[in-house]
Amino acid sequence: MTPERAKEAVANMCNETGMDLSTQLGRLRLRNPILVASGTFGYAREMKGLVDLNRLGAIVPKTITQQPRLGNTPRRTVETPAGMLNSIGLDNDGIDAFILNHLPCLKQFEAATIVSIAGRTEAEFISMAQKLDQAEGVSALELNISCPNVTGGVDFGTDPEACRRVVQGVVRSCGVPVLAKLTPNVTDIAAIAQAAAAGGADAISVINTLLGMAVNWRGRRPILGNVMGGLSGPAIKPVALRCVYQVARAVDVPVVGIGGISTIDDVMEFLVAGASAIQLGTANFSDPTVSTRILDQLPAALAEAGVSSAMEIVGTLENKPPQPAVPDCCH
Amino acid sequence: MSNPPHSPHYADQAISCTVSVLENLQIARNTYRLRFESPQMSRRFLPGQFLMLRLAGLQDPLLGRPLALYDTVCKDDGTPRGIDVVYLVMGKMTSLLAEASPGDKLSVWGPLGNGFYPQPVNHLIMVAGGVGYTPFPAVAREHLGSRQYGQPARTTPGASRVSMCYGARSAEFLAGIENFSEIGVELHLATDNGSRGHHGLVTDVLEQVLEQSDSDSRRILCCGPEPMMKRVAEIAEQQQIDCDVSLETPMACGIGICFSCVARVREEADGWDYKRTCVDGPVFDARQIRW
Ligand SMILES: Cc1cc2nc3c(=O)[nH]c(=O)nc-3n(C[C@H](O)[C@H](O)[C@H](O)COP(=O)(O)OP(=O)(O)OC[C@H]3O[C@@H](n4cnc5c(N)ncnc54)[C@H](O)[C@@H]3O)c2cc1C
Ligand SMILES: Cc1cc2nc3c(=O)[nH]c(=O)nc-3n(C[C@H](O)[C@H](O)[C@H](O)COP(=O)(O)O)c2cc1C
Ligand code: FES
Repeated sequence: MTPERAKEAVANMCNETGMDLSTQLGRLRLRNPILVASGTFGYAREMKGLVDLNRLGAIVPKTITQQPRLGNTPRRTVETPAGMLNSIGLDNDGIDAFILNHLPCLKQFEAATIVSIAGRTEAEFISMAQKLDQAEGVSALELNISCPNVTGGVDFGTDPEACRRVVQGVVRSCGVPVLAKLTPNVTDIAAIAQAAAAGGADAISVINTLLGMAVNWRGRRPILGNVMGGLSGPAIKPVALRCVYQVARAVDVPVVGIGGISTIDDVMEFLVAGASAIQLGTANFSDPTVSTRILDQLPAALAEAGVSSAMEIVGTLENKPPQPAVPDCCH
Repeated sequence: MSNPPHSPHYADQAISCTVSVLENLQIARNTYRLRFESPQMSRRFLPGQFLMLRLAGLQDPLLGRPLALYDTVCKDDGTPRGIDVVYLVMGKMTSLLAEASPGDKLSVWGPLGNGFYPQPVNHLIMVAGGVGYTPFPAVAREHLGSRQYGQPARTTPGASRVSMCYGARSAEFLAGIENFSEIGVELHLATDNGSRGHHGLVTDVLEQVLEQSDSDSRRILCCGPEPMMKRVAEIAEQQQIDCDVSLETPMACGIGICFSCVARVREEADGWDYKRTCVDGPVFDARQIRW
């Protein structure tokens, strides 16, 4: 059989067997594990013409804050080898404008809406959570305790006790599932994940961007207006995969894998390493229709792995020594 | 007199696809005209809109690069065939693009942005700095009635006279000059080193053109480096002429989802906000911009 024919056969089999793509993140059930990451999909309405938004597992719109924020001085992004740096600085119109202008639109799509929030204090996180709990169309919250582009926010992501407290505060003050999004810019990400789990998080999203920098040596200037920024894209995939693996082993709650994912193989690697769902970030920029294309490819990849549901493959990495590479023809 | 407000232009009309290079010709120093096949895109594009382009399958360079529509390409029978863009070799992506041959694959998505909004006017004056000239051949053709764009083809209130003030570093960087003459555009050139046209700034040339134009129905369209656009906006303001500028802020997505491409746009009561040039522009009424 030619590889094309084999692929076709697998695809047909999936349709017939009806691969179960659904996944469970604590109290949140999703129709499939393909999500789009905060800050990399606008408020989704921008993508209506390019992507069938009803098909995605969930949409995480750009992080919102209590008050409107202008964001950082341009230049805000620069490409780096197989990746990019950003210092957007949580440019948003604030929670009230979000509820008024964007939530009604997000609600129309069948994809779940996981609203990403960032507070400067525990009280601010809680009051935002309560407001969103009252609003219609919020499937879950993702606490952005990991943004490298604002001062203040990041403490919750680096100090385990502060992390536990804020997660617990939010979980207790609202009725929707809560995800905690962690930064990789720490010595021991497993310890932070354990704290978030202890606080009652339904799931843990890893990772946000890695702090980085770009320099224009001729002008003796930093390239970003904010000097430093967060690194994302294929360049960070190995770091993200390592974090997912460490966190998945350290906690019992589900993990959402994020970082450098741009192909179906990347998705499968994250699922095997322990992620119950994944988010696509920078890949949406370089390939606007990547999310639904990967979704199309998922059933066949799961079938190839010999499973009949997405959840069956999660965390199936075996701790065996790596196999020597044997060309296919020798089997 | 003032512009109708530019509504946000989300990528509702955009198509994302892999296309084949048809031709990649050098037309001036470090400047190339690239033609690719896409009848669908060709049908939809309006002058002043842009697309995002990257070399298919590569992760480095990773992101698409914004390039303005140079012109749509039709077959002999007039049916849409493809798109022309013109690019200056700047860095990573454009250096690789300069080596592209017919048949090579590109990932493109567009049309994006609002483009230049056609207005009835006697004398249309286009001002371009360097590779910022790329949107103007199509703008001129549309205003002079020799081409139509969009689906359904939009009918444009024409201009009886179209001038182009075009500045570049030196004569060898001036691209597509014959084109402008063929279209029927009055061309006024400037170069930094005096190798062609006025020795100095294109804004000097603009002031001369304005002096010699007695029409009271004039409009300026401008695209180029920011200091130049800022100066053109000042001249337009002083002489109370409507002026549109097409901003060239660095972009990462081109479709409104990353918030990198922001410019300071005035709001009521002396305030301003960062607006995304990819979906709220790239064309703005010059008075809206807080330079
Ligand atoms: C709406 C729009 C339309 C455009 N149309 C055209 C066009 O028709 N033809 C054309 O040649 N160019 C156009 N540009 C500019 C073009 O996108 C950049 O020149 C291109 O991205 C350079 O890519 P590169 O990989 O070759 O350079 P890079 O390696 O990315 O950059 C080379 C150098 O240029 C700087 N740079 C890159 N992009 C910009 C930018 N937008 N503004 C300021 N500095 C920048 C970088 O910081 C670096 O110093 C347009 C830009 C916009 C926003
Ligand atoms: C331009 C840009 C803006 C981002 N904004 C946010 C944000 O507002 N909130 C957030 O939690 N993460 C934000 N992120 C981080 C992404 O959601 C994601 O965690 C990170 O980019 C790693 O994934 P990737 O490599 O697939 O992009 C942003 C990333 C980028 C590139
Ligand atoms: S380039 Fe991404 S929002 Fe404009």
